[in-house]
Amino acid sequence: MRKTIIFRHLGLILLFNSFFLFISAAISGVLDETSFIPLLYSALIAMLFGVFPLIFVDRTYDIQSKEGIFIVVSGWGISCLVGMLPYILWGGEFSLVNGWFESVSGFTTTGSSILNDIEGLPTGLLFWRSSTHWIGGIGIILFALLIFPKSGTARHTLIRSELSDMSTKSFRTKTSSILKVILYIYVGLTVLEVICLSIAGMSLFDAITHSFGTIATGGFSPKNTSIAHFDSLTIEVIIMVFMVLSGMHFGLHFATITGKRRNLFTSAVVKYYLIFLIIGIGLVTLKLYLSDFGTWQESLRYGSFQVISLGTTTGYATIDTAAWPPFTQLILIYFSIQCACIGSTSGGLKFDRILMLLKSIKKQVQVFIHPQAVIVKKIDKIKISNEIEQFFLTFTALYLVVILISTFINTFLGVDLMTSFSASVATIGNVGPGFAGVSSLGNYADLPSLSKFILTITMLMGRLEIFSILSLFYLRSWR
Amino acid sequence: MRLRYKILSGFFLLVAMLIVAGSFSIIEFSKISKSVEDLLEDNYRSIEASKSMLEALEREDSGVLLLLHGNWKEGREVLRYGDSLFNSSFHIVQNNITEQNEEAYIDTIKKRYSKYKSLWERPIADTDKENNLNWYYSKSHEEFNAVKKAVKELMGLNQKSMYQEATDLKEKAKRAIMPGIVAIFSAFVFVFLFNFFINHYFITPIEKLTKELENYNPQKTTLTTKIETRDEIGKLKEAINSMIQKIKQNQ
Repeated sequence: MRKTIIFRHLGLILLFNSFFLFISAAISGVLDETSFIPLLYSALIAMLFGVFPLIFVDRTYDIQSKEGIFIVVSGWGISCLVGMLPYILWGGEFSLVNGWFESVSGFTTTGSSILNDIEGLPTGLLFWRSSTHWIGGIGIILFALLIFPKSGTARHTLIRSELSDMSTKSFRTKTSSILKVILYIYVGLTVLEVICLSIAGMSLFDAITHSFGTIATGGFSPKNTSIAHFDSLTIEVIIMVFMVLSGMHFGLHFATITGKRRNLFTSAVVKYYLIFLIIGIGLVTLKLYLSDFGTWQESLRYGSFQVISLGTTTGYATIDTAAWPPFTQLILIYFSIQCACIGSTSGGLKFDRILMLLKSIKKQVQVFIHPQAVIVKKIDKIKISNEIEQFFLTFTALYLVVILISTFINTFLGVDLMTSFSASVATIGNVGPGFAGVSSLGNYADLPSLSKFILTITMLMGRLEIFSILSLFYLRSWR
Repeated sequence: MRLRYKILSGFFLLVAMLIVAGSFSIIEFSKISKSVEDLLEDNYRSIEASKSMLEALEREDSGVLLLLHGNWKEGREVLRYGDSLFNSSFHIVQNNITEQNEEAYIDTIKKRYSKYKSLWERPIADTDKENNLNWYYSKSHEEFNAVKKAVKELMGLNQKSMYQEATDLKEKAKRAIMPGIVAIFSAFVFVFLFNFFINHYFITPIEKLTKELENYNPQKTTLTTKIETRDEIGKLKEAINSMIQKIKQNQ
């Protein structure tokens, strides 16, 4: 593994971060805020560290697979480290652990927060907080790739880590095109949502920050009470639409726009994903209505928003779900585990794997009845080999094991069971809010420091698909 | 890029990092200095003046009691001293308005004090007020308490602001220290990084070249050591290769 190549690419990632830090600093500077110096200082540090490797290391045209994985993992790590700088330099509620938590939560597009008073933060810092979502959403790696030299191997490797390995198989366009497509779709959706939210009555700043949080399926809001602050059905509907769109494969958006045969309307994954969401909304609405939670319109309004918000791993809130009936909480926990589709900006287990799991169960039943039968399994007309199936099932098992371990550790640290479990599910799935002590309008401030740190590890594991993180433990075998 | 510029850039970035950290620390410390100054100049001065006003009021209350008991000379003396102290202190707070609504508080004090003063300014000795404790409790003492309350409210406003300023100071101190801590940590990482690049791009190739030259096989026409850069070390390798070829040609 060539360390110099890794340093060069990490430098590029730092430069990209510093660009957003400079914008945030400029906002603070114009508004004469206390966060100006912390943001400017962080931007300069990121820039200096970013420029230095570029002076020494020449442009390289091939990145090996192992180097690619290492760049992805360490790129996220280094971004989180730089991302926490303005927080800890500014102070307030940001201790070292809190700053790290907020930064990791931002870059992994989790959206969990330790802040009690979000609105007390300066505008520049709020912009940076939302920017971490946007940067993380598309993947720092993707940005780095666009300015990287053209290298098929590297791109393939990096895409595998960033968008899950099925994304490269399920979308039949060239790898380089996928990268450009994702960028266009990502920026396009962000701009479109900003326009829609502005028309619906949001200020430009709120529209931008909320769009960053929606398209990245993050969930950071500059308001203490998240989307509930606006109490506007129009805004909620707009955000719901964009949350659902962001939860789908970005390549399929492109295919739909360009009139390709396999698009959002013909994809089986999207079809089942939407059916599951509709069933979830229906069940939650019905239960809320039967529990005298409100009229059926109110039940539908709050129920649909929360199901979509958690089902797409965004994590915005219009109501505190901690007070909801246990059945609805269970449904929401299921959606926090299921998450959205592969190829989107959402994290977690992803719906494609759930579909695969269901198809595996069906296959096993068929094999049980007809032991000699040769059954070919397909998703969206793509044949799924036994190797991929095994990999997916191992991943699913590992995913649940991580949730279990995280819950064990958190309960050991004195956190109650429901908080521990839902926080573990919400962080590994990059969802954000959980239940009990970390509910949708609550925060993670009261958790012990070690617990917060453990949850940041689960966030990173969720974002980097566990295997990338685990592969770091086998660095010796990489040589 | 040439070797010297690469090394220079390393040192330049290190210096830049220290300058940036130093500058930000200086800015933050200047802010702290300004805050301390504000704390002392603005709030502390008003609090001290308020304390003097309270002392003046206590004296005036004693003066009124002395007058009631017929000690008019001593009473007037005490009242004159109290009034002088009150006015001088009031002058300080009047010219040191630093908080929002502070002017309204000062106006209240002014009005209350004028009312209180009007009670004892007029003669008391040889009038129906002499030895009249009912008058004292119903009029004089009541007005005395009203002025005292107004002064205390002003003092409370400044104390509250002083506390807020002190809390902000703590935050500012943290902001002044943190760039230094980050700079130390960054410089530490940077030195390691710089050392790595120096070793990787300069020391190791030179060592490899030296080793290859020491174990030089006369049958070889070029050196096999791989040089990644196109700087002076790359040129050195090319020069050695050229020299070897020239020697070979001469042989």
